[in-house]
Amino acid sequence: MNLFCYQLKQAYLSLKQKPIFVLSVVSTMGVTLGALLCVLTLAYVMLIKPLPYPDQERLYNVEHQLISNENAIDGRAFTYPNLMHLYNQQSLFEQSVLMYVDGGVITSLPSEPMVAISFITPQWFSLFSAKMAIGRGFEESEKVNSYNPVAVLTYETWQNKFNGDINVLEKSLTLSGNNYRIIGVLAENNIEAPLAGAGFKTELYLPWDYNSVSERERKRWGNDDSGLIYVGKLNKQYAEYSKPQIDQILTKVVNENWQSKVSGHDFFKNWSIVLETQTLKSFIVSDGERSVYLLLIGSLGLLFIACANIANLFVSRTVERQQQLAISAAVGASKAQLFRNILAETGLLMFAAILLAQVVIFVGFSVLQYYLGDFLPRIDELELSAFSFSVSILLLILLTLTFSHLCLKMINYHALNATLQSGGKGIGIQVSKRVRNILISSQIATATALVFINVVLYKDASELVNQPLGYQTNNITSVVLALPNVESEIKAQKLTALKAELLAHPKIKKVSQAMRPTGFGTLALTASETDNRYTVLGKDIDDQYFSMLKQAIIEGDNFSAADIKDNRSVMIVNDIFARKLAPNGSAIGFKFKNGVEVIGVVKSINMPGIQRIDARFYYPASLARNMLLIDQHQGQIFNRDEMIEVMKSVDKKLSLFTFTSLNEYKDRRLFSSVTTAVTTLVLAILTLLLSGLGLYGILNYSSQMRRFEIGTRMAIGAKGKDIVSLVFKDNAGALGIGLAVSFIVLLVLYLGFSDSLSAYVNVELLPLFILTLGAISLLSALACYVPLRPFIKNPVIHALKVSE
Amino acid sequence: MSTAILLLKNIGKIFETEELETHALKSINLTVNKGDYVSISGPSGCGKSTLLSIMGLLDVSSSGEYFIEGVNVTDLSLDQAAEVRNAKIGFIFQSFNLIDELSVFDNVALPLRYHADKPNNATIKKRVIECLEKVGLSHRISHKPNQLSGGQQQRVAIARALVANPAVLLVDEPTGNLDSKSADQVMDVLDQLNKAGTTICMVTHDPRYADMARTKVQLLDGAILQAPVAKMVG
Ligand SMILES: Nc1ncnc2c1ncn2[C@@H]1O[C@H](COP(=O)(O)OP(=O)(O)O)[C@@H](O)[C@H]1O
Ligand SMILES: [Mg+2]
Repeated sequence: MNLFCYQLKQAYLSLKQKPIFVLSVVSTMGVTLGALLCVLTLAYVMLIKPLPYPDQERLYNVEHQLISNENAIDGRAFTYPNLMHLYNQQSLFEQSVLMYVDGGVITSLPSEPMVAISFITPQWFSLFSAKMAIGRGFEESEKVNSYNPVAVLTYETWQNKFNGDINVLEKSLTLSGNNYRIIGVLAENNIEAPLAGAGFKTELYLPWDYNSVSERERKRWGNDDSGLIYVGKLNKQYAEYSKPQIDQILTKVVNENWQSKVSGHDFFKNWSIVLETQTLKSFIVSDGERSVYLLLIGSLGLLFIACANIANLFVSRTVERQQQLAISAAVGASKAQLFRNILAETGLLMFAAILLAQVVIFVGFSVLQYYLGDFLPRIDELELSAFSFSVSILLLILLTLTFSHLCLKMINYHALNATLQSGGKGIGIQVSKRVRNILISSQIATATALVFINVVLYKDASELVNQPLGYQTNNITSVVLALPNVESEIKAQKLTALKAELLAHPKIKKVSQAMRPTGFGTLALTASETDNRYTVLGKDIDDQYFSMLKQAIIEGDNFSAADIKDNRSVMIVNDIFARKLAPNGSAIGFKFKNGVEVIGVVKSINMPGIQRIDARFYYPASLARNMLLIDQHQGQIFNRDEMIEVMKSVDKKLSLFTFTSLNEYKDRRLFSSVTTAVTTLVLAILTLLLSGLGLYGILNYSSQMRRFEIGTRMAIGAKGKDIVSLVFKDNAGALGIGLAVSFIVLLVLYLGFSDSLSAYVNVELLPLFILTLGAISLLSALACYVPLRPFIKNPVIHALKVSE
Repeated sequence: MSTAILLLKNIGKIFETEELETHALKSINLTVNKGDYVSISGPSGCGKSTLLSIMGLLDVSSSGEYFIEGVNVTDLSLDQAAEVRNAKIGFIFQSFNLIDELSVFDNVALPLRYHADKPNNATIKKRVIECLEKVGLSHRISHKPNQLSGGQQQRVAIARALVANPAVLLVDEPTGNLDSKSADQVMDVLDQLNKAGTTICMVTHDPRYADMARTKVQLLDGAILQAPVAKMVG
């Protein structure tokens, strides 16, 4: 048997006798390494790993910017005609894909499920190398303007909505009164490019022609729609072109045509269009980047604290083993042999920790996918991979060498022999003051920085969670209906009938015809006197809306029933917009070019999870509006089935699109804030706890080493408080350095990421910082004091006795 | 009549552990007078160190009463005991117990740093040098303990015990860790100190050194074997 195996076996046998030590090291390192590897893999997948599509480096997203006469970007979304013009006229891309997303109800299925739909052009299939489980994807026969009513299902839709029916290709499905023939099902392992945001998972693909943009909007050169997406694969011959060159060519294609189309409109004089490309990869991950960096900092910090604690355990372990090491040295083990001995033991422990880490990663991936799937892109690509494996090996080697080196540094080889003679008063093994101080300082620095960052994030998140919204959410349900394709007059009749039926229901107190209070669209308004242009958030509501939501009118009037019925040119603005319109006076009576007049000012509401309050306005909704708010009597729950029943009693063709309580919307919007608040609080407490334990470990250990000195000083006449102040003074330097380092780290972080951090940093944080410093100092003081207690609360002889 | 510096009345000490009670001391009566040189001897484990710890207020007795210079110190708080130790008692340990990081000067000065009077630096310096001269080590003032021989270290410890002008020196096996030459030197220093008026109470199991004392106490199994016999000063 070779020496290496022999040493491993020896290490195993000696560790077997120390189960607590092994358990502490393996569990602490396993969990923290697992967390770090999870986040590293996430960072790798999101930031580094190529997209899983052919020639992914040549895939680009195109952004359409509307540049105003003041040279400001007025909008960042395509107008429909410009999108189509680019699609038809450009020659830079060898393949192009248009996409638009929406939801719809499949009325041909008995359960009338609501599905997420992507409207796409045929090249989507080859550009994203989509494989089919059965049937075919869209082809020439589904090219733009072919109006071929066919559909492709995702694998999940096929399994869940069509029960995996083998004969599904002969079937058709009905959406908004149109029939689509099913021609294919995507393969199970198909990875959808999250073009419409991380949370959007397409369930049904339809040809581009059937997208929900209305015929009227399709011809408007000035109205942009953020649902319109363009992705292209750059032609090989242009691969050498720089980004500005590409942008310039694309801009020219669209802008010249657009200028000629809008030349008749005074409004767009001196306006222009700019197209800007971005690699598809950076387009997809742009949202999640900040979260990934935060997670990275957090998990690195935790690993650091864990390492400091484990280093501490290794120090104690080496002290414990000094007799054994001394005997080895006495019988002729060289320094290198002792090192290999230690290396074998450390390596074995780290190996076990890395194994445990693999389990943690595996579980961690599912947790991340479950909780962050809607927020972070590409998260479903997470898997145990060559990347996570090689980083694991790297960490294994790094940590083994670091900890072994630390243990070796403690051993004074020449003094080991003396240890045996002196009966073990610890000459051979010493924790140098420097090592101890470095352990203390690093522990304190990481803890302070981490606790502070977490406290700041917690404060921010909990303020958002607790901010009053300024509108009622209890007992109110928001309903969206799918209406048959009929004239709006008929729709209005149906809706009026439905409202009456609902009001007659015993559980229902009030009905308002409007979208949920957080839903707004962006609209442009021009003041009639000054020609000032405003881009504001607006929504259409009825006369019941404000009283149902308990949103107070602070000036002027609410809409009357007649305002709604006759669709009068009136509007109500929120106080923010009112102040913009009339900074010193009243906004009532303010008129816009389209003839609309302000008749009331309403108190602003806060959007759940958002701190900023925007200028907003409200205008009369059409009686054909397909959205309702239903206010139920206290304690009465009007459910989805009851809603469907009422609807069907009015008209069999009405179907229910969404039925969601306002509280659920609120919780959904607050989800990330609540998660942040909980996570940061837990992390802050965990950090304090871990570092408190770590500091206690170090200081307890060093007090033990100093017990003779402490006993002697007390024998000479030192009192308890003298000893405490001695130890405090001794460690104040390390504490100070730790705090200073944390300050520098935070400063560097701030300067490095000032763009994304400036929103969080202000003077209000000073008390929080001082509080953090106070908590850490108190913790350190406790960690100093507690180990001293047995010495100063007992007769001096306790500290002077050799045994124990 | 000479004055009693230390007076022990029926002092007993029981160590209780989970399995057993050890009666380490059983009703000890002992008087140490001013200027006395008392030796306590007996076989290993008979209670010598325990007795000296109680006399030095490093430990508390389980029963009996204890007076230092006529003041009852049986039930002092830990802090009060520290003050009495500092002012009245100089302790010398078998293993020297010098503090490695401090220089000889700082080791010797240590008791004065904890002194209630808070003497100023000049006073401290004067006093420290005085004491180091008495033990013949004033030229080693800035050395670290580990740069000295064992005998030298023990003499530094004696200087430290003397520095606060204690009423009595309590010495536990002062020569246990020393070779015979160094041991003789240390014993010489103690002898001279006693001749100059310092009260000494010393534990030793070396009969040679026990004989140097004026009063010899024999301990056996926690009790005093025979009435203290005063050696006639010749
Ligand atoms: N802390 C303790 N706990 C229990 N027993 C003790 C303790 N200290 C000393 N003893 C016991 O008390 C007796 C006297 O010990 P000690 O005073 O050290 O003896 P000596 O110094 O004469 O060798 C011994 O039997 C010893 O085992
Ligand atoms: Mg003893």
